[in-house]
Amino acid sequence: MSSLPESAVPMAPGAHTDAAHGSTAPRMRGHAWGPLRREWIKLLFQRRTYLIWGGAAVIPFLISLAIHFSHDQGGGGGGGPAFLDKVLGNGMYVPLASLAVLIPFMLPLAAAMVGGYMIAGEAELGTLRIILLRPVRRGAMLLTKWAAAMLYLAFGAVVLFASGLLFGWLFFGLHPMVTLSGSTVSIAHGLGLTLLVYLFGLAAMSTMVSLALLCSVVTDSSLTALIVTVVIYIAINIVIAFSYFAWLRPWVFPYYYSEFLNFFRDPIYWRPIVKGIENFAAWSVGLTVAAYIMFRRKDVLS
Amino acid sequence: MTPGVAEAQTQTKAQTGTTGRPDQLGCSGRPVVLSTHALTKQFGSLRAVDGLDMDVCAGDVFGFLGPNGAGKTTVIRLVLGLIHPTSGHAEVCGHRVPGELQGALRHVAGFVDDPTFYPLMSARRNLRLLGSMTGPVSEERIDEVLEIAGLLERAESRVGGFSHGMKQRLGIAQALLHSPELIVLDEPTSGLDPRGMKDVRELIRDLGAAGTTVFLSSHLLHEVEQVCTRAVILNKGRVVVQGKVSELRPQNDAVKVLTDDQDKAAETLRAQFGAAGVSDDEGFIIVKADEDGVPEMVRRLVADGLAVRAVVPAPEQGLEDFFLELTSDEDAKPAVESRRRGIARVLGRRR
Repeated sequence: MSSLPESAVPMAPGAHTDAAHGSTAPRMRGHAWGPLRREWIKLLFQRRTYLIWGGAAVIPFLISLAIHFSHDQGGGGGGGPAFLDKVLGNGMYVPLASLAVLIPFMLPLAAAMVGGYMIAGEAELGTLRIILLRPVRRGAMLLTKWAAAMLYLAFGAVVLFASGLLFGWLFFGLHPMVTLSGSTVSIAHGLGLTLLVYLFGLAAMSTMVSLALLCSVVTDSSLTALIVTVVIYIAINIVIAFSYFAWLRPWVFPYYYSEFLNFFRDPIYWRPIVKGIENFAAWSVGLTVAAYIMFRRKDVLS
Repeated sequence: MTPGVAEAQTQTKAQTGTTGRPDQLGCSGRPVVLSTHALTKQFGSLRAVDGLDMDVCAGDVFGFLGPNGAGKTTVIRLVLGLIHPTSGHAEVCGHRVPGELQGALRHVAGFVDDPTFYPLMSARRNLRLLGSMTGPVSEERIDEVLEIAGLLERAESRVGGFSHGMKQRLGIAQALLHSPELIVLDEPTSGLDPRGMKDVRELIRDLGAAGTTVFLSSHLLHEVEQVCTRAVILNKGRVVVQGKVSELRPQNDAVKVLTDDQDKAAETLRAQFGAAGVSDDEGFIIVKADEDGVPEMVRRLVADGLAVRAVVPAPEQGLEDFFLELTSDEDAKPAVESRRRGIARVLGRRR
């Protein structure tokens, strides 16, 4: 370690004209994308990020491969998640089937993982205390982290969609789609509907991200945050599976996760879709506000 | 408790007004950049910080001393807004914490506990990322602080591969990025080799000389003695003593006396200096006598027919001894004794 070099010594405390430090320095002027960019860079410097995205790229391939060989051996899609049985005749259904396969558990798991890491992961790593020594507002930081988690999932969705389309085309070819109502729509129209389904899926995942973020604020272990989030999600699913708790269904977000099917009715059955989005928004906002309140008062001891 | 300790504490009490605040004359007209006002933090039944009042003046290299568990890191966390006080508040560069934390943090940098970074990022990228949270930071400045920290050659290396000492250096580098008015360093030399320790201490001194206020938490007393201008000694969440480091050490006006008849000499000296001013130490008589008192003392001894064989200055009580006395846990002594006896019993049974 060298002593202060000549160039450094004359710089009096707070003398950096552009610096936010020091009494003479201006406040950091709003670069709205700056904080989001920082969170994005942090995500890019984690190995698990590429594991999840890699998984998103591989799953459509595996689905296509499995259905292709099942057909060769005389088997079929065999029921299962929505659109799976339609894949054989049309690769346009691969992105849809992939989402349908992932949305009940794997996507919520990915959302819980990234959301759960956001605060607890930093606390675990010890970086939370070093970033909170910078003049950033905790609320703004939390919202940025939420947005970064959603951006991460959106990128994963793009990978899933693109991979589904690619392998669907390679294995089965792309053809006009048949809706659940029996009408046929063009490839472009079908792609548009699939895109809407993906957007709905992302909106659904915002609830999991918010729930995971709340858990992430409460604990200092990202694994605990992930587990608690998943346990809550599974518990809700189990509870609403019983008819005794049917009254609860309209109020909990997992109930609406499969409403994306209604995009493939002709005409689109908007009512449950809109109800679902309203529900997602309410839960997302509620959970994020709860996370904010807790984070604001949180003693950072990690 | 030795007379020296008692004096030092009395001095602290004398400086303390009715509100318990130390007299800010210690700052010699310099502004106070960091102060705490009855700062208290309670964790459940544990009072980690108890009504802490202290002032750090501009330009100070301020030592924050205390044994493990004294509450040093808790105070730093409170001051930097990482945790919320149960009562009281801090003022950092004119900003009240909590309340105006963002304003305060624009003037402060540093680290608490071990500095930690994103392990898969390079040192440079870590600095770029952390620096951008405060304000624009140029690549030249990053190079500069890396050079100061002695890490320029490892700028592109992943931090995950850094040793503890290198992370400490990087922690200092990130603290320097925006030339803050106040740098808070929590045991910055821990984990460093002797050369690294020396370098960091020199750097801290240089920062102080350049006008930056440094708040240095440490349990290394000689480090504080070497580097700091003022210091606080904390114990059980309370300030035991604070002031200039040069004045923290108790004044040493004692001499060791050796004569041909120590008993008679002790009698003579007690008559001159009182019983409290005379004690015995391994055959020598220790007398609390200042420079003016020593010739008179020798005259009296000779007048009483004693042969004075030696009068030498008594060894000074080091800051370390002073610190240990101030922070010794009297309540814990019976428990320690009981534990020792228990261990002796167990060992006895085994034999």
